[in-house]
Amino acid sequence: MTDTRRLILDRLRKHAIAGDTSYPAYSHPHAGISDLRRSFQSVIESVGGECRYVADLEAARKVISGSEILTAAKTICSHVKEVAEGNFDAEAKSDAHQCADVDLTIVRGALGVAENGAVWVNADPLRHRALLFLSENLILVIEGRDIVPDMESAYARIDFTRLRSGYFISGPSKTADIEQCLVIGAHGAKSVLVLVVG
Amino acid sequence: MKSHARLAAAFLKQEKRAHWHDQALWYVREKRDRMAASVPDWEALRETAQAIKRHALANLPRYLEEFEQNAAARGAIVHYALDPAEHNRIVLEVLKSKNARLVAKSKSMLSEECGLNEFLERNGVEVVETDLAERIIQLAGERPSHIVLPSIHIRKEEVGEIFHEHLGTEKGESDPTRLTRAARTHLREKFLAAQAGISGVNFAVAETGAVVICTNEGNADLGNSLPDLYIAVMGVEKVIPKTKDLGVFLRLLSRSATGQPISAYTSHLLGPRPGQEMHIVIVDNGRSEILQRERFYKAAFCIRCGACLNTCPVYRRSGGHSYNYVIPGPIGTILAMHRDLKKYKDMPYASTLCGSCTAVCPVKIDIHRQIVLWRNEVVEAGHLGRAKSAALKTATLGMKRTRLFRLGGWTVRKLLRSLPPFVFNNRLTIWGRSRDLPKMPAQSFRAEYRAHSKSKTNLSESGLNREGRS
Repeated sequence: MTDTRRLILDRLRKHAIAGDTSYPAYSHPHAGISDLRRSFQSVIESVGGECRYVADLEAARKVISGSEILTAAKTICSHVKEVAEGNFDAEAKSDAHQCADVDLTIVRGALGVAENGAVWVNADPLRHRALLFLSENLILVIEGRDIVPDMESAYARIDFTRLRSGYFISGPSKTADIEQCLVIGAHGAKSVLVLVVG
Repeated sequence: MKSHARLAAAFLKQEKRAHWHDQALWYVREKRDRMAASVPDWEALRETAQAIKRHALANLPRYLEEFEQNAAARGAIVHYALDPAEHNRIVLEVLKSKNARLVAKSKSMLSEECGLNEFLERNGVEVVETDLAERIIQLAGERPSHIVLPSIHIRKEEVGEIFHEHLGTEKGESDPTRLTRAARTHLREKFLAAQAGISGVNFAVAETGAVVICTNEGNADLGNSLPDLYIAVMGVEKVIPKTKDLGVFLRLLSRSATGQPISAYTSHLLGPRPGQEMHIVIVDNGRSEILQRERFYKAAFCIRCGACLNTCPVYRRSGGHSYNYVIPGPIGTILAMHRDLKKYKDMPYASTLCGSCTAVCPVKIDIHRQIVLWRNEVVEAGHLGRAKSAALKTATLGMKRTRLFRLGGWTVRKLLRSLPPFVFNNRLTIWGRSRDLPKMPAQSFRAEYRAHSKSKTNLSESGLNREGRS
């Protein structure tokens, strides 16, 4: 292995790349977004998700308790106690496989990206990151002030120094692998609701 | 091995299917166009993406070491592999060390390149592809015909047949939603039973040691979070310097690939999850040689979006399986030629050289120019074949001598017009098999040019230019 490593690195040193090979100075903010909130919402809808703006956590709780998803869900795992109690404690499970039948998971997102509807979820507070993908439905709660225009500004705000895993989630799981027909709900969540508070 | 032309001809015999294939890919290309147009700085992003690649690959040893150190500091175990054999051996050893007999695998073109599945199966490890299209392909016993849409050549009725046989769905079922649901149930069982997950890598960030993986289905994410063993396999070229650079590449990747603003899931993994063992296998397999070739190194900039396949008029009309290399289409061509010039000698000719591939490439690889240069290499190496060589020799002769050229032109103009079409459109004439002769002009270009220059001189003397404006 060490030999292989040295051999590969030596070979790579002999590259023929010509021209300016300095690291480019760049910044490409997305200049086409005039209304962050509207753009964020419309992109989420275009990728098969749902996005609602609510005044506060109490209003978020009302939206959730009135939602069809909550009514239909038997096993609910909430990491945002202010908006829903839940009836399943994933943190108490020693193995992620025990979370296989969760119908609804509610977690906080740290950021929303207006250009692509993605929500940044830091999975480190969760004992089982697999929950995000096992759960049949997902509700992501973010703060209104945390919507940024584009990926450049999103990465500028994410701290990777102690992070172990983080995910951009943009709408529900999907596939178009059968004749380019879009089907929502491939392996992960069949629905994603983003609640923007404040 | 059959040539691209032969395989393409077989593909085109099923006219309806060929037309559908063409349309399906053009639809993806159009989505890409709309997405690209929605980003005001699109062209600048492409420029920057290329500049970052240029910098990263020119300094790859440094960035690989930085990535390795940071990933190791997070608890990942990093391996290097020179070729497919070493890659496969490492993966097998790791799987064996944990006694893993069932692997939930996510899409990886590198593992296709290395023939990993076949190798593992031969050694008693069951590999289940978890991307829907890859699973369809695997059950059908085929290989992917596209790098992003592996089952684009298969109709829904055929998926129904395959699933009926292997997953027990109802006979005649062809509804994409119901078939997808059946696959979800089937693969969920596999995810929960697998002792290991394997996936490819979209980007590896030197600065943090993060491995970044993009999927729409969420399969890579289940595969890397559920089992106690996770192996990420990547080519050396996947390393980018900074987290910030993800902001450039992720904005380009999905928009170019499928016309989406971003994939549904973009995972950033920094080391294993608690209780897990994570391995990263970094593979060269000829990439360092690509980077050593002055005219061709940009082929290694590729981020595997597949946009050049979707836009290519030849790919759309001939299907991925008509290319003999594991990666088809324009990018496949300029990668295959590094592998084996002789074996893949027909691939550079599976191109109209229209340049559409170059125009859509998110990292601005000069794909169609490289294809021309590869034709050059094929000719130089003497792999062209007798008929084409003879034709080219004749043409060279004519181009070199003015009189001969004129005589040739005259002959073609006068003679071919009066001959019946079958003289030209017969099986023996390679060019004429699928083409008609253009209408022959009455006079040569030379004569026409001369006449035109004369009239132009007259016009300018009268104070008017050609358009008649003064």
